[in-house]
Formats: sequence, C-alpha cells, structure tokens
Amino acid sequence: MGLRVQPGVIGCAIRPVIAARNRSLEEIIYDTAQLALADAGIGIDDIDGIVVASNDQFDGRSISVMMASGPVGGVDRDIMSTPSASEHAFILGALRVGSGQFRTQLIVSWSPTEVSSMSEAQRLGADPYFHRALPLDELSAHALQASAVENAQPTARAAAEAVAEKNRAHGRMAWPDPPLHPMPGPMRWPITPAMTSAPVTGSVTLVLAAPDFIAERGLRDVAWLRGMGWATEPSFLGDRDLADAPALAAAARQAYAAAGITDPASAFDVAEVTDATPYAELLAYEALSLCPRQDWAARAADGSFSRGGRLPVNVSGGVLTWNPVFCTGLIRIAEIANQVRGGAGPHQVPNARCGLAHAGSGFAMQYQAAVVLAQEARP
Amino acid sequence: MSTDRVGIIGIGQSEFRSRRDDASYPELVREGVALAMQDAGLDFDAIEAVVYSLSPDAMVGIGNAERLGVDAVGGRNKPFLRINNGGATGISAVAAAYYHVASSMFDVVLTAGADKIGECGDSQTVLNKIWDPSYERPLPLGTINMLAMSAVRYMQRYGMTEQDMARVTVKNRRQAALNPKAHLRKVVTIDEVMASRTISWPIKLLDCCPQSSGGAAMVLASERFIRDNHLDAVWITGVGHSAETYWMGDRMGNNPTAEHANAYALGRSFEKSYRMAGITDPARQVQVAELYAPFSNTEFHAIDAARLVAQPGESIARLRDGEFELGGRIPVNPSGGTLCTNAIAVTAMARVAEVALQVWGRAGAHQVMGARLGIASGNGGDHQIFGTMVIEA
Amino acid sequence: MMELLGRQEVWNITYDHALGETASWFYTRIRDEAAIYGRRCAKTGRVLVPPRSFSDETLLPTTEWVKVGPGGRIEAFTMVYERFNNLPEPPYAFGYVLLDGADTALGGYFKGIDLTNPHVAAEKLKIGTRVTTRFAADRKGEMLDFWFEIT
Repeated sequence: MGLRVQPGVIGCAIRPVIAARNRSLEEIIYDTAQLALADAGIGIDDIDGIVVASNDQFDGRSISVMMASGPVGGVDRDIMSTPSASEHAFILGALRVGSGQFRTQLIVSWSPTEVSSMSEAQRLGADPYFHRALPLDELSAHALQASAVENAQPTARAAAEAVAEKNRAHGRMAWPDPPLHPMPGPMRWPITPAMTSAPVTGSVTLVLAAPDFIAERGLRDVAWLRGMGWATEPSFLGDRDLADAPALAAAARQAYAAAGITDPASAFDVAEVTDATPYAELLAYEALSLCPRQDWAARAADGSFSRGGRLPVNVSGGVLTWNPVFCTGLIRIAEIANQVRGGAGPHQVPNARCGLAHAGSGFAMQYQAAVVLAQEARP
Repeated sequence: MSTDRVGIIGIGQSEFRSRRDDASYPELVREGVALAMQDAGLDFDAIEAVVYSLSPDAMVGIGNAERLGVDAVGGRNKPFLRINNGGATGISAVAAAYYHVASSMFDVVLTAGADKIGECGDSQTVLNKIWDPSYERPLPLGTINMLAMSAVRYMQRYGMTEQDMARVTVKNRRQAALNPKAHLRKVVTIDEVMASRTISWPIKLLDCCPQSSGGAAMVLASERFIRDNHLDAVWITGVGHSAETYWMGDRMGNNPTAEHANAYALGRSFEKSYRMAGITDPARQVQVAELYAPFSNTEFHAIDAARLVAQPGESIARLRDGEFELGGRIPVNPSGGTLCTNAIAVTAMARVAEVALQVWGRAGAHQVMGARLGIASGNGGDHQIFGTMVIEA
Repeated sequence: MMELLGRQEVWNITYDHALGETASWFYTRIRDEAAIYGRRCAKTGRVLVPPRSFSDETLLPTTEWVKVGPGGRIEAFTMVYERFNNLPEPPYAFGYVLLDGADTALGGYFKGIDLTNPHVAAEKLKIGTRVTTRFAADRKGEMLDFWFEIT
C-alpha cells in the first residue's frame, strides 16, 4: 500500500565530519538544523513537526531528545524521537506527512564522539543475560558477519577489498580533506584497517514536505519519495544467518513495490549503501537485487559500481570515508536526496533522476531500510 | 461512514509489580504482547508493523534494548522502529503507530514495551543524567525535586496545600484498589499521606509514584480492516504533541511563556488533539480522563491544562468537592493513574489503554458508567514533552 | 520451587563534553571574576541565564553578554531529605534564582538555612525571598563554584 500523501525532500544539510570543538553538541545540532532550513528556503515557523534520532549512550544524556529539542525548534512544536536508528526518524517523518496531518517535517540526527570509549558504549547494547561478558561491540558483530559471508562466498574477500578501495577513491574526490588513515588499534578478523574508518562527530538534517506545501511555495528542487521499506533482524546474532540479509530483502521488496520498480539493477542512476564494512555493502548489493553474490567479484573488478560506471554506489565515499556512527543511515538518504535534487556538489552524478538509499544499523546491520527518491513524483 | 479512522482493537497490560524476578525484560514485553494479541483475536502474521515503546535505556540496563525485544513483538523481518519521548514514550508510541495506519501504508500495527524500574538501583541517578552536562548536571536535579519546585510555585499562585496534594493520593489509591493491574492498591488516608516522610518538600513518600515493572501493548487497525473483519473497536479521534523549553529557569522569572507551576505545553498538546477531535468544550464533553501525573500535585495542573475546569488552579477546589473521583463529574485516573503504577516505558501507553477500556465499557470494577469519550496524556523529559489523545466509542 | 538467579551490571562510562564558546566564557567569568553573565536574545531583548548562543524560542543567535546579580530573588526551591545514590547527602536545599538583570532563573544550592523543620525552612525560602550569590574562594569554573544565601 502506498502513502495517502506523497512527501518530498525539499532541503538537506549533511555534515559527515565536524572536527572543531568550539561548539557544544546542542550548538552543532542547532547549526545543522539551520543549514537545512536555509537549504529548503523556509523558516522554522513553516515546520509543523519534528523527528529526531540519536543514541543516549553516545550522547551521554539519558533522554537525548530533551536538551536537543530546543536547538531543532521543538519549543511549542510537535516533536518525537526514534533512537533506534537515524533512518527511522526519516521513516516516521514520512509517515506523518504521508498521513496528511502534517505539511512539513524536520528530520534531525547527530552522532558525537564525546564518550571515552565508543566500543564500551556499544557493548552496553549486548544483553546482560547471555552476551554482555563477550567483547561484542558493533565492529565485532560486523566481523562475525564478514566471516560468515567469506565462508559462504569464497570470493568475498577480494570483492570486499575492491569495494573498500572504490569507496576511498570516491571519498578522495568528494571531500577536500578525506582521512588518510583508517581506524587504528586491534582489528577483528577478517576486518582489516582498510575496511573501516574511525568514528567522527557528524550531524544531518532533512526537510520533508507535502505536495500542497511544495506547490504553494513554488519549490523546484524536490526529491520525491517513491517508496520506502524497513525491517529488522531478530535479536540474537546466533539466531541469524549472518551470511544473509533477509530483513533488507524484505525492506527492498516493500520499497520497490511502492515505487513500481521491477528491475532494480537497471532502475537507478545512483545509490548510497551503508558500508559499515565492505562486506555489508556486498550483502546489500544482493539483498537490494543489484548484484547476486556469485557476481560480486566480477562487478567489483569491472567498475560497474564505481563513479562513471553503470550504477555508481557511494560516490560520497560512504561510511568508509566518514563514519559519524549513528547518523550514517540517514546520511545515505540525504545523499541520494541531494543527488536527485542536483545538489550533491563535487560528487554529483550527472542526470541522477532516480536514486536508491540503503540504511543499515545496529549489530551486524540488524535494522535495514531502503528508500527510493526521484525527480518525478510518478514513474 | 468515514473510512479514515484509526481504531484500537486489542489491549494488553501486565499486573504491575515492584520486581519481576521471574521474567527477563523480553519476556515481560512478550507478556503484554500476548495479552493484546489475544484481545484482538489475531495471530502474529496479521501484524504488519511494530512500534516499540522504550524510554531511557539506562533503566533497563541495556543499550538500545528494543533490539532485544524484536522477537517478543514478533518483529522479525517486519517494519520496526522505537520511540523514546522520556516519560511520554508510551503515548508517543501509540501516536507513532497511529501515523503508521493513518498514512494508509499499514492496516494493522502493534505497539508494545515494558519496563523493569525495580531492577535499576539508581533510577534518580539515571534521571539526573537527563539534564545537560554544560550547566545543570552538577545540581542534584531529579524528577522528584523538579516537580517539588513546580508544587512550590503552584502553592504560591493558587493556594494549594499539602492536604490538597494528599487528597489526590487518597482518591487514586481508592480507585487503584479496584484495578487488578495497578501496582499500589492499598487505600490510604490523608493523615497517612501527611505523616509519610518528606522526600523533596513538599513531596512526601505517599505523594510519589512507585517504581513498577511490567509490560503493555496495543493493536491498532484501519477502519477498513476493522469493518472488513467485523471487529469491535474504539477510535483514536485526536492526537497531538507539544513541547516547552527544556530550561526550567525559563519557566520562571519575567513573563515566561511556559510557567513551571502549570503545564503549558500539555495545554498546547490538548489544543491540538481537541481540535482534531472536534472538542470545543472539554469540561462538558470529556467523560473520563487518564492524565499522566507521577506526583500528587501534578494532577492539578494536568486537569487545568486539559481544560476540565474554567481557570488554572480551580482543580484544587473541584477535586475537594469530589468532581474527579469515580462517581464524580469527570473521573480522573480511575485506574489509579501513574501515581499508583509507573513502569516508565509504558506508563503513558497504559493511560491510553485505560481510557480505551473505559469508552469500550470494559474497565471492570473501575468502570466510569456510560463513558464514551475520554482523554489521555503523557509527560516526558523535564516536564517538557507532552502527548495527548482523544479516544471515543 | 524454581531457583531464580540474577546478575549485577554497572554502567560506567566517561564523557568529555565540549562546552562550546558560550558556556566556556561563562565559566571563565565565574572562575576569574566571581561574576555571573547572561546573554541577550536579539529579538526579545530578554537576558537568558544560564547563557546560550541562541534562544530556543526565537532560534536566533543571542547578541551580547550582560552581567547579572549578585542579588536576586527566589523563584523556586525545595529541600531534599532522602538519600539517592550518586547525589549529595541530605538534607540540602536548592532551587532557582532570578538574578537582578536577568529574565530567566539560574539553578543553585541554598546554603546557611536550618533545614530541620521543612515548614520553617519553606517559609524562609518562600518565592520572592531576596538572596545574594556567594562564590567559593578557590574556583574551578563550574556550577558548584557559587551558591545562594538569604540576605
């Protein structure tokens, strides 16, 4: 079933790395929200609802929406929070506009690096009943998934190394100061330093609007939501086949059905995939029906998914370039919105009319989402 | 008949208690879910999406604990997201589920959660860390003393006394005694409340909510689904959220927009849901109210904000006159309310559940006779984010 | 009878929060000058204390520093008599004070009051009572460098 009202993205602000320490977290959130409103050409008074997303443990605040509500314009406004994933804020915002009860939504997410150990903060996500005593942080979970994928598909390692190199090359072209060195410290086999990047502070904001608002204001650069799907894997890693991504397959089916897409491999001009590791990108290729696993190595080698190729994936450089951990999912959606709106800057793909964003988060991509955005409201 | 409404077709609540050592957190979630699914008469295949209700992770001691609850809600490979609006989470989760259905994308949505406050040895420590580290964290702020300060201002503005506060506890305990799901069900007298030890003046022990453990869940469905399947339902006709400034000091001083004695944003939230439901005279049209009030004094400004009285402060005299008890003009918190049961992640959902049961005629011994229109509210953050709903038969 | 086991877990995480320029300057004034400053909102002219770089009501940047206090009036108070883990030993009194020149109230402890009888203390601390800000001799640049006493 489709949405009653079709939302469009009318503004974005993507700040995948904020190195300076002269602004507090609340000020960073304020800055990002203001940038997105400016990009949309509207003021906070035009916003009739807000959805924010962040992780209380990364933020160091027991209820992160509380202090963040001021900076995003939450005073005397309808505000909700989806701390499960940054992409969930987009989804809830889209449902709210989709219901016809809201004309606009401001979607804001952030990910600071003020916690002394990201790994320790993430380990708190392991249940105390069976798993807390294990060294289970997000990187370990990705490593478990990577080893499962290698076991199921022997050519995966070579393909993963090629994907990592592709995304780093994209990152060098997309950003003036991409990082030269990946995450230091012990790695988790089979994940190598080249396959991850250190957490950075980042923030992202999108503005969604309903067609009548867009028409009233004469807004031109719109990325229309053609379809979205989201789903979750079960709780325990041991209950999952880590070499597979059924939740993403379910999410993709839902998104494609709504968007009327029957041949995903040829339907998109650009895609952004949450490459927490290159193995996650490979699994996403398959679950999104872009490339089955037996073709991973070949496609990685022949440049199909590189800039200039058949379907450029992660021209933004992906998570491998900048890793503002909690925001990475929503940033993929914002990147595609910018591509379709013609505002992606140095990494703009020419004539990007229809794009696919994949957002994954949690232990070994437990949460998965797929979003289709396009210049045309209808196919 | 309109085909646009969103209905409630199933409700489940645990019998809330201090500790549930017999159940892990996911098992507690499952408890509420099983009751709601049974009530709706559906199996899990019928659920198309899930909204998970969970406020501070620190209370259950598991980061992003909703991930652990995926199986308990039958969420595998299904659309799933979690809401956290502090204490308002439960009503915000129902609202999020409402938007899932109202968007036309889904016909049947489950919302569920649980809390185990009793397992967290330091709930006020956790609740101290909701304040910002830049300024207010070093102060011994917690939810109790924050609302004690609201009481102090309400006393000064409207003449509320400690006896008036005690009356709220007495009323709610008497009502909780009739509700098998409530946590604190022992009837108390005004003298007993007044004699209980002071926690943060003027709030005494018996003016405070308990720390409860338990789960709750609700199943929402589209009117089309309800009609096609010949189901019984009650209807969510109004939904709204609003927030006020996070800064408590800005709710005092010179001409604050939101006054800390009152519940400004709760009033603004009710304006939205009343407008949506077409309610123009709440004091006449509302027949039952479940208003989130974890401390006795806060029930007064909630009643004021819901405009069940003509002027702020009038709630004090009207409560003394018996208007807000079972048998009175507009029973408030006939379930015993948050004052008698507070499993934070789902407390505000229980408010919606209780109003739904009331207008459905299924509230048992604490039924408000003939109630067909009711309101529910939830408060989150430092008395900052408020969700409200109107539910009708 | 089923044997029920439990597990103890402690959350122990450290954070290094960036205060930003505005809060940093506020604290350096407390440390070096024993003075409290607020920021003026561009649109309404209201002096916000504690200071912020933007107003959450107008979403506009604040414009100038304004020295406030040391005198003020009590806007809210409470006395805490209960022990809570990781919070101070009771009894103690704290609340919010509208410092002279400010439009919003600042939180802090009230010291020098006998808290044995809450009703007597409540009368002493009632809303509107004049107080003054006292500063520690040895200041670090934090909220606990100052408190309020009844004048």
